[in-house]
Amino acid sequence: MLLKLKQILNKADADYADIRYEIKKDTFITLDGKELSNIGSTSTDGYVIRVLKNGGFTSVSFTKEEDAEKALKTAQENAILLGSNIEKPITLAKVPIIKDTFIPTLKEDPRGISIEEKLQLLRHYNDIPLAHDKIAMTNTRYFEVTREKYFISSEGAEIHEDLITTGIGGSIISKDGNLTQNVRIGAGGSDGFYTIRELDDKFEQRTQIAIDLLKAEPVKAGAYNCILNQGLAGVFAHEAFGHFSEADIVESLPAMRKKMQIGNKLGNDVLSIIDNATMPNQLGFYRYDDEGVAVREVKLLTNGVLTGRLHSRRTAHEFGEPISGHCVAEDYRYAPIIRMGTIYIEPREKTLEQLLAELGDGLYILDPKGGQTSGENFTFGAQYGYVVKNGKKDRMIRDINISGNLYQTLQDITAVGNDLKLSKTGGCGKGQTNIRSCHGAPHILMKNVVLGGI
Amino acid sequence: MEKLLDMARKVCDQAEIYYCDPTSSEVMFQKGELHDIESQFHSGMALRIIKNGKLGFSYTKNLINREEFLQNALDSLKGGVQALYDFPHTSDLPFLKTYNEHLEEVTSSSMVENCQRIADVFLKNTDAEIEVVAYKEIQNVRIMNDHGTDVQSKIGSSGYWLSLVYPGGGAGISRVYEEKIPFSVSRNTLDNLVKLYNDSSKVCEVSGGKMKVLFMPGSMYTLLWRLHSGTSAKSIYEDISPIKNDIGKQIISEAITFYDNALDDEVPGARSFDDEGVPTKRMNIIEKGILKNFFYDLNYAQKLGAKSTGHGYRASMWGGDTITMKPTPRLLHPRIEPGEKSFEELVAMMDKGIILDGVMGAHSGNIPNGDYSVGVSPGLYVEKGEIVGRVKDIMIAGNVYDTLKKVIAIENKLHPCWGGRMPAILFDSISVSSK
Repeated sequence: MLLKLKQILNKADADYADIRYEIKKDTFITLDGKELSNIGSTSTDGYVIRVLKNGGFTSVSFTKEEDAEKALKTAQENAILLGSNIEKPITLAKVPIIKDTFIPTLKEDPRGISIEEKLQLLRHYNDIPLAHDKIAMTNTRYFEVTREKYFISSEGAEIHEDLITTGIGGSIISKDGNLTQNVRIGAGGSDGFYTIRELDDKFEQRTQIAIDLLKAEPVKAGAYNCILNQGLAGVFAHEAFGHFSEADIVESLPAMRKKMQIGNKLGNDVLSIIDNATMPNQLGFYRYDDEGVAVREVKLLTNGVLTGRLHSRRTAHEFGEPISGHCVAEDYRYAPIIRMGTIYIEPREKTLEQLLAELGDGLYILDPKGGQTSGENFTFGAQYGYVVKNGKKDRMIRDINISGNLYQTLQDITAVGNDLKLSKTGGCGKGQTNIRSCHGAPHILMKNVVLGGI
Repeated sequence: MEKLLDMARKVCDQAEIYYCDPTSSEVMFQKGELHDIESQFHSGMALRIIKNGKLGFSYTKNLINREEFLQNALDSLKGGVQALYDFPHTSDLPFLKTYNEHLEEVTSSSMVENCQRIADVFLKNTDAEIEVVAYKEIQNVRIMNDHGTDVQSKIGSSGYWLSLVYPGGGAGISRVYEEKIPFSVSRNTLDNLVKLYNDSSKVCEVSGGKMKVLFMPGSMYTLLWRLHSGTSAKSIYEDISPIKNDIGKQIISEAITFYDNALDDEVPGARSFDDEGVPTKRMNIIEKGILKNFFYDLNYAQKLGAKSTGHGYRASMWGGDTITMKPTPRLLHPRIEPGEKSFEELVAMMDKGIILDGVMGAHSGNIPNGDYSVGVSPGLYVEKGEIVGRVKDIMIAGNVYDTLKKVIAIENKLHPCWGGRMPAILFDSISVSSK
């Protein structure tokens, strides 16, 4: 394969060029209630060429080998056009040239397990909520995505890496009269099928939450002091802060870039945030990004001070900061963009009980239900929560969506727990979907949070 | 394709081939300067077969080996996904003008020139952080099945996505413009956007409570996703729609007519057939507030004893790769019938309120139940009929079936926006929360 890619790349008339070929294999099973609505296994493939010429850097993706010359020609023409329309020519940061093959070691390779067994396991889990009267519907799915990636560059890089992601995801919908409530469920990882075994208790717990939500009170709109559980605090780390550690986002927003200077004090002293995709056995794990750069740990925020940023080769040069190996594509349809790997809030000393006592009166809100940022503002949902009185969990609440300002909130996180947990499924949608996007945190205490209610 | 269909026909009861070949190019300006140019040349094919009431499915980007492709679909029959419907026999479809050959004249260079012109106007007249994107998309779609259906369409569009971001905030005024032919955004339109941006640049403090909210087309998907969920045959079948038993009943304001019209070829993306080859039509879902129809694909129509309404599309809420998806009921051409008022008249009708120009978090919250709770991104603040600034850290919340009962007036124009073509709608007494 690498030889074939070299033949294509040899025809490039450019200052730099690279090509990535990928075979993507999907295995999928979907159950809607008792009904099997989707099952299968299939494979697709395609190429992405990137060209740097006369100071312009562009990409073309294509699926037919015979389109390679056309793609190369288009990329070259667009690069010249780009180069002639910008003041500062694009330069890529220098990187070590890597020649390597990396096939991850899996505990129980999902590709060796029959689809019948996968279906049987999914049915088993799916039956757990469906055994309850108040559960109207489930949507559960098994997914297994293998990206077999081959990358070569005109600088001499030659890399083959496989990424195999396994997971179970879905929602459990409860109903009482015309009122419906739902909770999400997810499990999986980057290192094998074992990550989705023994989930019975988890399905039971999620089912009970969906049922309890039918009797929960809608939260009243207003501002509250809140404790966020690990899943929700992880979404904050990813959505509100993490995206602005991505150099390609912050470079398009000059005022934000000014605030996000390395060395600026942005957050409370108790807050440190790290991205570390090199941690083994986590969803976000990989070795090389899609420009052939080895990923490394980046300390983004240290005791409230901005200390690092996530980069592509282009932005690392533009910002004059070290390369980090975070330029990743969804698959062969896309040129890579800057993505977080495994981002998390570093744990401190406090237990949940200590945080609740510190909160006194407020809300304890749990588990993410989608999030979004727009510059310094963010919004995300929690699946359920509790009113806290005098440090004690009281009645259950629902319809929780919170909104805030990044800089204010970084100051308003006043205590951090000791119980770090990382997410087991991902799905960040920054133009492309990153199913390996991993985030986490311990419990955190956040002051003065705006809740929308309904 | 014909050969493959012949082969499939011999080994199963029914077969269908879906082909598409999207090509696209995109030019992006950031901070007023050219930032990136990207192109895609893709193609792919998906095969659905039915044998003994079971569905088989496979797809490929490169049809190198027909036998293997068919075998993949045959292998997936073992999964046992039920398929008791028949692929349609479709012929004599109306001719729709979905492709204009002048689109070939749109090149990367012409897109760069047009974006530069727009960026220059914005740079000169605002302090905004500017993003300007121009794009061109062309694709052929062809569907063949063993019932004699062989329908195809070439579809093309070009467009712009413009965004004026308030410095530091990230939120901004964003608009989409789309045509079937090469075009440039008029100076008048750009001047109006500049005015809207400049009028709203001051940050205002506002306390929460109930007030008038003007949902702009760019925010309407918040309501649309919930209506989509409530009226999809899939939700009806799964018994999670709160309006399942309400056909013929007044469920929202009589000012609202919510419909789907794939046949409208005045605008890009018209389709005379859906992704299952079923003819499309204009269909009222809610007519003057009365629930009239749910929308169906072949699969859910069969399960519910109804007929497909031509809404089986290979699409999802989040986009995705068409050939890898199986058809499900989707509204790809939804509209709300325009009203009588201009945008300026709607603003003049607000004593105090918020123009919801964009939202954050429309996908959070309880979509099946119709609940929404979104951050403003941005929210423009209106007092005494005039835009006086914008609000931050504010959430707007409600339930779609309740909100749509509170219509004051509807804009007299449809605008392209995420998910369809919508007017701006002014609602009364919507919950607004703040710090």
